Amino acid sequence: MGPGVLSRIADLRAWIFLVLLLIFFETWANVAYGVTFIGNTYNLQSIGIFATAPLLLALGQTFVIISAGIDLSVGFTMGLAAVVSAHVANLGMSHFGLNPLLAMLLGLLSGIAVAFIPGLVNGWLIARLRVPPFIGTLGMYGIARGAAFLIAGGMTVPVSNEWFAYIGNGRIYGVPILVIIAVVVIFLMHYLLSQTKFGQHTYALGASRVAAVRSGINVGGLTMRIYLLAAVCAGLAGALYSARFTAGAAQAGEPLLLSSIAAVVIGGASLFGGSGTIAGTVAGALVIAVIEYGLVFINVEPFWQFIAVGVVIIISVLVDQSQRKLLGGRQDD
Amino acid sequence: MRTWEGWRPADVGWPAPKRRPNMDVIGTFVAVGSDKEWEEYMIQRRSFLGLMGAAGAAAGTGLLTTQAALAQDKKFTIALVPGLTTDAFYITMHRGAQAAADALGQDLLFQGASEWNVTLQVPVLDAVIARNPAAILIAPTDKVQLVEPLKKAHAAGITVVCVDTFIGTGVFQTGSGDADFPISYVASDNVLGGVMAARALAKSIGEKGKVYVSNVKPGISTTDQREEGFKKEMANHPNIEILETQFNDDDANKAAAQVQAVIGRVPDLAGVFGANLFSASGTANGVKQAGKQGVVKIAAFDAPQSVVQELKDGTFEIVIAQHPAEIGYFGFVSAFAHLTGNPVPTLIGTGFTVMTKDNIDDPDIAKYLYTG
Repeated sequence: MGPGVLSRIADLRAWIFLVLLLIFFETWANVAYGVTFIGNTYNLQSIGIFATAPLLLALGQTFVIISAGIDLSVGFTMGLAAVVSAHVANLGMSHFGLNPLLAMLLGLLSGIAVAFIPGLVNGWLIARLRVPPFIGTLGMYGIARGAAFLIAGGMTVPVSNEWFAYIGNGRIYGVPILVIIAVVVIFLMHYLLSQTKFGQHTYALGASRVAAVRSGINVGGLTMRIYLLAAVCAGLAGALYSARFTAGAAQAGEPLLLSSIAAVVIGGASLFGGSGTIAGTVAGALVIAVIEYGLVFINVEPFWQFIAVGVVIIISVLVDQSQRKLLGGRQDD
Repeated sequence: MRTWEGWRPADVGWPAPKRRPNMDVIGTFVAVGSDKEWEEYMIQRRSFLGLMGAAGAAAGTGLLTTQAALAQDKKFTIALVPGLTTDAFYITMHRGAQAAADALGQDLLFQGASEWNVTLQVPVLDAVIARNPAAILIAPTDKVQLVEPLKKAHAAGITVVCVDTFIGTGVFQTGSGDADFPISYVASDNVLGGVMAARALAKSIGEKGKVYVSNVKPGISTTDQREEGFKKEMANHPNIEILETQFNDDDANKAAAQVQAVIGRVPDLAGVFGANLFSASGTANGVKQAGKQGVVKIAAFDAPQSVVQELKDGTFEIVIAQHPAEIGYFGFVSAFAHLTGNPVPTLIGTGFTVMTKDNIDDPDIAKYLYTG
């Protein structure tokens, strides 16, 4: 058994963890309530919808973390996008007389478009001015937050547009549209990270910045694109938030920032950069969603829920540490 | 139901009886009291009301003659420093204070920070103190950290009134502690708000079934009190079972997943009390996703304009509106009463309005929507 097999198992550990969790909840549901947990499509749909927003943030964050950076601003970039898309969808109908379908599309696109601003500024600060990512994106966290609240006037921005509500709450053959969108984005991100030069350079940058520069990678431009991608993912999450709740809220993404980072770490990425996969991040986001949903389902007292999520994050990082020791600091290629 | 559901703005000035030191105790009393006790309490309440009503009515009738005389000599400037300026709740409170200022012929100064933050509020407060108003109405952003900054105002001879939130324990003018110098605390009685939500929800689910509270997180005084009032009142409804409270960290996404999980386990869930806006809107979305809209009834707390639509399309069954305008109004009036030498109760609880799709078109109800 060589390191090849070991590292394969290590790659899959978030998925193994997910399966163990599902078995645990299935057993508990059977014993305590005589019902099935995973056999019930209702539960799966609910978990899928639940995981969508943190997952979208986490997908963009995966690239940032692999490049040895961090983006703290995605939560409020999401809020900004949510507020803008709600406003634009309303304006499209009230001021430009668009039909609801066009207004909805315009709203969603504006939400994604406005996310370019924090993304570009983050990239510029970090790539050109060499501001540490933690500080640069923390600044943007405040700026995006303030801008979102100002645009929203301190309130949520309600949207009445049936197409908007359909995107956020509709189903196609029983699969929530939100989940379908998330799956498409997952495949796109997986392709970007594993099959393109952009993805490979991201790993190279995270593993060793100096080596990346020496090998002729345009590190500045690469960094810009990485932070832009994270912001666009957040923008999409924000636009979909408005669709789902038919209201844009500035604080929409605030509580999701930490879960999105946790999802990436549980998925096997290292905060020191150079490793991580999209598949891992997906599993990480599902692990968090299954725990939080499952504990409510089996009726665990709320305070225990906080503890459980904390324990899982710590276990996951411990596994990561020991795996690295075992494999002698392996980095993904 | 009971008389107290029909409170009108004129009779919600609620100077608390001296023997009840805080809102908490009032809530307990309300929740456990029999009908007879409630009647007695209301009578007592009304008699205190007389005092406050007098101050309030001074505007129109000049009942407090000394004030009228004084008012001719000197115009007081009274400042209102909200928790944040961009929130509909405080904007509405500002309107109420302005109404009192106009009625009494006094000046109102409105200054605050755009975010809920101690380090932003204190400089604003310092600037307001520098303008030397006669009184400051403030919604302190922290119980402890605002004590010293407000002491400066007190030392400068400025009358301090806490609105919505408080410093220290919220029990003022007791002669003990270093944060008892504000003359009064004017706020919604959140325990009572929870009680009203419970009564309305119990009625709408036909007095039987399973319910739970979707709450933000433990440790926030206002939302904790709403939950407490809700649970205490529900204990009086023997056929209603209260399930475990779910905390959503003010995340609508999580509140939605939680109600879906609860429905998965308890398919006959009858109702949910969303203790704040995100708890309620998240829960409503989860109920919709579960295909249970209209079956699982939702009582929501707080009433921005958007709730009109949400009541009409059945997203919410019940909305409990606070009366921020009254907080501003009574805050201003009590500061003015104090400045003109009249006694002011140390605790004034303002009322709530229960909104449903049947009454939301009534202008007397709709006027309690928060306006931006």
